[in-house]
Amino acid sequence: MAVKRQLSMVMDLNKCIGCHTCTSACKLQWTNRNGREYMYWNNVETMPGTGYPKNYADMGGGFDEDGALKTGTEPSAEDYGIPWEYNYEEALMTGTDPWLRPNVKPTWGANWDEDEGEGDYPNSYYFYLPRLCNHCENPACLAACSRNAIYKRQEDGIVLIDQERCRGYRYCVGACPYKKVYFNEEISKSEKCIFCYPRIEKGLPTACAKQCVGRIRWIGYRDDEEGPIYKLVDQWKVALPLHAEWGTKPNVFYVPPFSPPKYDESGETTGESRVPLEYLESLFGDGVATALQTLAVERQKKADGVDSELMDTLIGYRHAEMFKLS
Amino acid sequence: MRQLTSTLGVLATLALPATAADTIVEANTALLQAGDVVQVAKIPDGIYLRNVNDPDDIIWERLPEYRVELLPAPAVHPSVELRVNYDDPGYYAYLHLARTSDRLYVRMRWRDDTKDTATTKDRFRDAAAVQFSLGDDATSYLMGSGPDEPVNIWYWPGDGGAVQNLAAGGYGSTTILDSRSVTGDARYTEKEGDPNEWAVVMSRPIGVAGDYEASFRRAEVPMAFAVWQGSDGQRDGLKHVSDGWILLDMAQD
Repeated sequence: MAVKRQLSMVMDLNKCIGCHTCTSACKLQWTNRNGREYMYWNNVETMPGTGYPKNYADMGGGFDEDGALKTGTEPSAEDYGIPWEYNYEEALMTGTDPWLRPNVKPTWGANWDEDEGEGDYPNSYYFYLPRLCNHCENPACLAACSRNAIYKRQEDGIVLIDQERCRGYRYCVGACPYKKVYFNEEISKSEKCIFCYPRIEKGLPTACAKQCVGRIRWIGYRDDEEGPIYKLVDQWKVALPLHAEWGTKPNVFYVPPFSPPKYDESGETTGESRVPLEYLESLFGDGVATALQTLAVERQKKADGVDSELMDTLIGYRHAEMFKLS
Repeated sequence: MRQLTSTLGVLATLALPATAADTIVEANTALLQAGDVVQVAKIPDGIYLRNVNDPDDIIWERLPEYRVELLPAPAVHPSVELRVNYDDPGYYAYLHLARTSDRLYVRMRWRDDTKDTATTKDRFRDAAAVQFSLGDDATSYLMGSGPDEPVNIWYWPGDGGAVQNLAAGGYGSTTILDSRSVTGDARYTEKEGDPNEWAVVMSRPIGVAGDYEASFRRAEVPMAFAVWQGSDGQRDGLKHVSDGWILLDMAQD
């Protein structure tokens, strides 16, 4: 879907420490109330892992090779995890309950499998993958809506659900292969990440990006050749979309993570990558090896005291350079 | 075109079985087909339902009942196309059509093995709707023929929400009207040895309260029917509909 300009985000997975500050910022701003309590418009997953909602990557949606919508299923409450609260007041303040306990029995939730990853010590591995709506160029949610309630803004490509038109059919929920559209049971309408458009319109970055303590996020327009997105995605080709094979043309990109080496039985490093390249390629496609190679070369330059525009960009010295919103 | 007529006066002299409105297997219930004219039964002034929209009121046993065949609606959007099952044999909706001097009533009942009253992340409510053409029967019975030939829809959601007064002028254009003049009530019956069923009554004053409300002060009103089975994930165009318009004869005598 052609728009005049497209806002995009790049996240450097080598810098993500899994602190969930982005998630907290988003939740406090948008989803801690009014039927959205269970939603995480932004979340951080441990990979390899089940993701959020649980096993979302197996729930279908997106497009087939001919560009036709594929069937997708709506996750259940349990797939997301049923939110629970603690009796802080009774247990800690009034002392009327001797136990601090959740109000529902927790059986699953986002990050239930946090830091589990794969492999056996000392060759176990994992990395963090923050996810939000990809504000796709070819949004499956938009294609799936029979009411034209979902639209993509011409001026910045942000994908929004018109709350006046939505009748809660939930086709969009199943159609998004990333499962980043959520059904609000209180109002019987679907809701999703709005890329903090009220902030964007004031020249501010999204809450998740602004609050990120690891400074892993860049925001800018795809067509801004002086901006960080063009440099990382198009010029250096070190930032890649997640699951491009799902056919939605995402506008969120990831710098793939480096891997520590494997250890052999004597405790010596083998030179073999602990995070299998095939696994990273299953997420980010064929460009992973080239991207990692480029990153290694440029990182070595910096280590050798030689200038590297790519490394300077990825370091993210100043927010003003990380967020180019005009 | 067939003419199906009856009035409460005529029927009152017939000893109808007391369970006429409560048994779903009614082979002798007249089958309405596209183009049939059916007279709206008159409830004389001075006779009142226990409550407006009472689906169990004894009056329904005294009024003629009709049936329409409901078949899967033709898919007009990929999201429906992915899910529709045209092999579904369909089923019947059983109808009462009645009026007083100032209110039009529609009672619908249909077989539904499961009572789906929740609208949650992955569960869908049962629902039913009736549709009136604002014009004549040249308007498409599938959501109208564009903004110039709209339809008025009364939509009953099975999750306890209020009956919605809607207008549409083509696919995907369904819009909630400002006027909340349509009301309704429903009950679900589980019976030993008989199929479970929903019975829904919706009604509205004869007079028009706002734009896009169907006028009932005309000789013939084209009407159509739809039912959604929540247990099958039905919503939107994923539904069963009657074929074409039946024509309500609004004459009072």
